[in-house]
Order: sequence, then C-alpha cells, then structure tokens
Amino acid sequence: MPILLSVQSLNVAYGDLQALWDVSLAINEGEVVALIGSNGAGKTTLLRAIAGLHRPLAGTVTFDGSPIQGLPAYRIVERGIILVPEGRRLFGGLSVLENLELGAYTRRARAKRAGMLQRVYDVLPVLAERKHQRANTLSGGQQQILAIGRAMMGLPRLLMLDEPSLGLAPMIVENIFEIVKMTNEQGVTIFLVEQNANRALELAQRAYILEQGRVVGTGGGMELLGNESVRQAYLGTIPTTDKT
Amino acid sequence: MSLESVMQTLLFGLFVGGIYGIAAMGLALVFGVLKVLNVAHGELLMFGGYISFWVFTTLGIDPFVSLLIGIPALFLTGLILDRVVFRHVVRLAGEEKIKNSLLISFGLTLVLQNLALRVFTADDRTIQVAYTGAGVSLFGVMLPFARLASLIIALVTILVIHFFLRRSYPGKAILATAEDWEAAELAGINIHRVYMMTFALGASLAAIAGTLVTIAYGISPTVGLAWTLKALIVVVLAGTGSILGAFPAGLLLGVVEALSGILVGASYREVIGLVIFLAVLLLRPQGLFGRT
Amino acid sequence: MQEMTLPSTPWVWYRRWLAPALVVLLIMLAGLIPKLVDKQNVWNLFFLICLNITLGQSWNILAGFAGQTSLGHAAFFGIGSLVTRLLWLDSVPFIAAFLVGGLAAVAFAMLIGAPTFRLRGAYFSIGTLGVAEVLRITVSQNLPLISTMPAVQIAGYDLPLRYYAALGLALATIAAAWLLLRSQWSLGILAVREDEEAAQASGVHVLRHKLLALAISAFFAGLAGGIFAFQQISYYLSAPFDPTWTFDALLIVFFGGLGTLVGPVLGAIFFVLVHEQLAVRLVDVHQVIFGILFILIVLVFPGGLVEAWERLKKSQRLTRVKNAIRRSLFTHPDRT
Repeated sequence: MPILLSVQSLNVAYGDLQALWDVSLAINEGEVVALIGSNGAGKTTLLRAIAGLHRPLAGTVTFDGSPIQGLPAYRIVERGIILVPEGRRLFGGLSVLENLELGAYTRRARAKRAGMLQRVYDVLPVLAERKHQRANTLSGGQQQILAIGRAMMGLPRLLMLDEPSLGLAPMIVENIFEIVKMTNEQGVTIFLVEQNANRALELAQRAYILEQGRVVGTGGGMELLGNESVRQAYLGTIPTTDKT
Repeated sequence: MSLESVMQTLLFGLFVGGIYGIAAMGLALVFGVLKVLNVAHGELLMFGGYISFWVFTTLGIDPFVSLLIGIPALFLTGLILDRVVFRHVVRLAGEEKIKNSLLISFGLTLVLQNLALRVFTADDRTIQVAYTGAGVSLFGVMLPFARLASLIIALVTILVIHFFLRRSYPGKAILATAEDWEAAELAGINIHRVYMMTFALGASLAAIAGTLVTIAYGISPTVGLAWTLKALIVVVLAGTGSILGAFPAGLLLGVVEALSGILVGASYREVIGLVIFLAVLLLRPQGLFGRT
Repeated sequence: MQEMTLPSTPWVWYRRWLAPALVVLLIMLAGLIPKLVDKQNVWNLFFLICLNITLGQSWNILAGFAGQTSLGHAAFFGIGSLVTRLLWLDSVPFIAAFLVGGLAAVAFAMLIGAPTFRLRGAYFSIGTLGVAEVLRITVSQNLPLISTMPAVQIAGYDLPLRYYAALGLALATIAAAWLLLRSQWSLGILAVREDEEAAQASGVHVLRHKLLALAISAFFAGLAGGIFAFQQISYYLSAPFDPTWTFDALLIVFFGGLGTLVGPVLGAIFFVLVHEQLAVRLVDVHQVIFGILFILIVLVFPGGLVEAWERLKKSQRLTRVKNAIRRSLFTHPDRT
C-alpha cells in the first residue's frame, strides 16, 4: 500500500504555547489509522494542522507526494483531505440538503455532485428522510451522520474524523462506526481520533498514541488492544465487549 | 390631525424605511459574514449618491438608471477595499479584531469624507428631474413618483438579494461562512473570496441606498456617519445574525420614526431611533429576527 | 547561574535615579515652555498635546486597564465641557465649575454604567456610541447656538495659563493611572480585562471594578472637557460631544500602546504633531493623508509604539549593540 499521508517532525504552536512537538506519522492508502491519547494531548490540534486550519512552526505534511503544510484549508480540501471537525460544526441555519450540497463546493466534487448526493442518500437514508429539515433541529446522532455525509460529498481520499462519538448514545456510536467502516470499504482512507479508544482500536489497522504533543507509541490495532500499559492508560480495566 | 396627514406621514415613513433597509442590509452583510463593523459604510453610501448626482449632471442620465454605473463602481471599490485594507483585520480575533476594524474603518471615513469634500465641495447637491414633485393622489394621500420608484427599487433589491443568498450556490456559501467560517473552509469554500464578494456586495447595496438618498434628499460629503449610525440601529433592531431581516426592520424604524414625529415633534425623531436601539440592545439583544 | 550583586553599579544607578530624574526634568521643561518660547502657536501646540494626553489616558484607564472598548468617551468630554462652560460663563469661579464638570461626567457615567456593562464585546462598543450620540443630538437640538466668551474675557485671554492648566491635568491623569495600577484594585481590574469569567470565578466583583475604572475615566475626560471649555473662545456647545473626540482618543492610545502608562503620552505627542504638520504642509488633503496614515498605523503597529519598542529591545541586533556599549562603559554583573 502506498503512503498517502506523511507527517514529518511537525511542530505546531498556539501563539507562545507549543502544542505539538516533532510529530511524525504515516498513513497508507486504504487504511484505517486511529489516534488515541488523553484529553488535551494535541489530537485535535494535529488534525486541524493537517487540514490547514493551523500553520505549523516547522515540519512537513506530504499528501500523495506533494507538500501541503501551510496551504489554506480549502486548498487542502481540493487535494482530497476532508476533516469532520469536533462537535460537528454544521451550518445549522441551512437544511440537510444545503449542508450536503455545500460539502461539494470544490470544482472536483461539484462535477459529481448530483450522483454523489444520491449515493449519500442511499447509504445514509436518515438524511434522505430529512432533506429539507434545518440542520440544527436534528438530533446529535443525525447531526454526526450529516457531518460525515457532508464530508463524503467532497469526494475525500483521506477522511479525518475528530471524536465522532462525542456526546452520542452507545447505539448511535455503533451506527457511526459502521458508517466509517463502510466508507473505508469503499476506498476512503480513514484517520480517526477517538476518546473511545476501544472501538477505535478495534476498527483500525494501526494506531498512534499521542501524549502531551508527542507521539509516544504506535502499533497495530489489535496489538495495542492487547498491550497492558495501553489498556491501563486508555482502555480502562473493563475488558472489551464482544464485537458484532 | 387629519387621517390623511397621518397616512401621509406614515407613508413617507415607509418610503424612508425602504432606504434604511437597503442601507442596513449592506452593513448587516459585512457584519454578519466578515464579523467586522465597517464604520465607513455611510461614506460608501455617500459616494454612491455622488456618483448618481455626477452622472446625472454631466451625462443627463436619470438617477435611477445611473444605478447601472454606480453599482459596479462601488462593487469594484468594495473588492479593492477588502483586498487592501480589511483582509488584514478579518483574521484577527476577539477584542483586537473589534478595535482594529473600528479604527481602520474610522480612518477610511476620514479618507473618504475628506476626499469627497475636496472633490465635490461641501455644498448640498440635489437632483431635479422632470418628474420631481409629480405624483399620484390616492385617497387624499400624495404618492410622489420618485418616492414610489425608490420603494420599488428597494423591494426589488431585497428580492434579488434574498434569491441570491438563499437559492444560489455562492449565496449559500456566503451564509455558511457567516455561520461558521472554519466549517466553511473545511467544506472547501475559499473564504477569502467569500469575504471579498460580500464586502463588494455590501458596498453595492450602499450605492443603491446612496442613490435613493440623493433622489429623496440630496447629498453632501458629511452625511456618512449619520447614515452609518442609522444603518447600525436597524441592524441591531433586526438582530445582527439576520441579514434579510434588516429590510423589514428598516421599514419598521421608518414608520416608528414617522409616528413619533407626530407625537413628540420632529426634532426628537433622531433620538427615538437611538433610544429604540439602546432598548433593544439591553432588553432583547438578539433583535427582532435574530436567533441567540 | 551567576550571582547578581545589585547596588552601586552604574547600570542600576541609572535605572533607579537617572530615569526618574529625566522624567522630572522633562516635566520642568514642559512647565517652562511659555517662558522659553514666545510664540502663540507653539503654546497652542503644547496645549493640544496636553489635552490629548488627558483624553487618551482617561480612555486608556477604561479600555487599556479594564479592557472595555467604549466608543462613548466623547459623552464625558462633552458633559464636562458643557457644565464647566455654562457655570463658568455664569460667573462661577473656574476651578469650581471645572470640578463640577468632572463630577457631572462621573454622575452620568454611573447612571449609564450598570446597564451598558451588561453588554459584551462589539455590542458594548456600539451601545456606548449610541448613548454618546443620544447625548450629542439632544444637546445640539436644545442648545444649538454658539457659546462665546464675553469680550472682557477675550481681551484678557491668557493662553499660558490655559497651557499650565492642561499640563497640570495631564500630569494628574498620568499620576491617577499610575496610582490605580499600584492600588489594591489594580489586580481586580486587570483580571477583568484578561478574562471576565475567570475573574468572577476568583471572587472579583466584576461590575464594581468596571464601574471604578469607568468613574476615573469619566472624571478625567470630564475635566479635559472643562479645560477645552476654558480654552475655546467660541464654539458650538455640542461640538465636544462629537464622536471624533472618541476616535482621537482611540488612535492616541492605540498608537502609543494600549494598556501602558506611557503609551497615551507618546501617542498624543505623535498625533498632535503629525496632524498639525500635515495641516500646515498639505492644507488641501491633510485629512485624507492623515486618514491613510491612521489606517497604515493600525495595520502595521497593532501593539503601538510601546510594543514596537519592546520588540526592538528584544531583537538580536540591538542586544548585541547594547552589550557592546555596556562592556565598554559599565561592568554589569550579569555579563562577563
């Protein structure tokens, strides 16, 4: 599998406060890679930096062979990296349909907009049912599905998700993870940040562990699930429930 | 007071309210999308008015028709101003953004106002067309053609803006950017271009308002700040998140001012607007149409 | 880590004695201006500088220290000037009229303070602008005529006296700001500026601190208005209420350095000098050029002169130069 995204020695700061120190990782095409770590470790910062919302201090981000660090966010979206940010961040005053349409704003996605819209409706029927409903009247789970649907409209090659399960009931979370898995099966590479480390590691082929702005570990999903210190730090002592 | 004269006053309140609405929509657009308070909005309005005056006196073109020149001129001005001046403040945050944008737009006020003073002199200018003063009489109430046409232009403008913002793709991108610019960027929207277009659009609306002002009252270089304030009152009345709501809020203000003119005398009409403004800020900060 | 031995090295002696002595010397020099120079327009220039220092510093107390970006400063300036002028021309001794003017401004401030402080951010700014405009329009509607000094007073007009008054007020305002920063309230006020909610959570009575800053700010702005009323021979009573005065204060403080003590002083000097120079040299377009300059300054110097100076002090090149000078002139315990 070729490397799709490569992050090398990335350093990101908020003003005087440095948040990421020499972060390096690689994501291969077609993979699901998870990023776990405690609160405030810098996971969101990393995703946002890759997505172009933060200019890094130093280091490189290479996507499909070309450097993208320092590019504005919309250009990075054009290249094929789409971030589903923490907290959904939908356009609440607009309808479900309008949110989806705006997801396909780039030229590349606009060309395939109609077809993609139909596919999104097929895969996520709950959105089809609520086409004209105002986005901020949807439930939390529906909003998360809309956020993912909107991201899909942009025809991503790499889909990054920041805490998609945040604030959602367990059953809905299952649904979300199903959708993520399905999306990956259709050829989209996934980079997943999750508090719910259990589910993330079950889904991911590989994972990185971020602590206080540094990468402190990496390994296969199952491998980390089985690792004692990882379990104690991030997975709690309750053993994983049986997977479906 | 006779019913006719009350109706007449209310009607004129409606006429001026239409102008208030258009002026306010321009300001609301810029404030809603760029989150910047452009104190120089009134100055752009003033320039729009002068363009129609100038086009009329030198080329003999009807002031309403002169909009075809004034709108593109001010659209271009808006593009330039955003690129050269406002782009640098838009990316700031919080208090700094407020302070900087206020100062910069105030500097712009100085530049534009004094430029106008220099070029056009301080005299009041008015436009007299063939149909000035003429009108129809309906149930004892006088409806001047010029005022009627102004109101119609204002209504057409808001319909166009409504369709543009709510039904066209770029329009929705503007609304999306106003709601959440980061999410808009993450959707692949080029927000720099959105900001530039929005500012230019706001300037165009100022041009329209300026022309209507010149037709109704005449124009002079110093009217800028008064109109900025008026637009601001309407924006707050409508609710700062509501761009389209600025128009009905403008109409409302016009009518309320007219009514209070009858009740407390003409000299306090201005104060009424400001008192309403402060009352809304304190009692219902989200305005009439805003969502918290 | 090398030990720092403090006393008796020339560097410390400079910091402790020479700098304050220089300040005192400057003040004395400022006081001697009318004696040293005999030109009306120079006195006028220094008068304007002092007036603007007061205008700026008073706004700085509210906006720089307490973090409340008010756009209604002209209201206090206006009230002070209105009350002072009316009382003074009605044969009340100037000092009394002057002080009453300042107090009237404070009274008004306390009246509108609590309600307007319920607004946040941009709403606070435009709310204060609205209040100031209400005042301006009311005054200009009810007192539309020009106020002119009686001929007797014009004949005996003493500009140096007015300059001394302005100078004294400017020094008093700076002193008040300095004392405020050293007072028991300073921490609370600065906390409110940094993070209102955190301050509240730490037990700081936010509204009280805001009102305190507002009162002091309004008082000195009102006094500045009184000085203005003292100096102007004839003017429209509503003129001091014009928002231009507020924006001047903003620019002065902003350019000098918001929240600093010396910022408004530097800003006022720069503002008055540039404005006057432009007015003299480029009569026709001076306002336009000033406006452009205004904009450029805001874009290039977001932290004002003081921040530019701080950054310069920290810069590599200057440090090297400073070290070279130090090595040749002084023995400094930190560097060998």
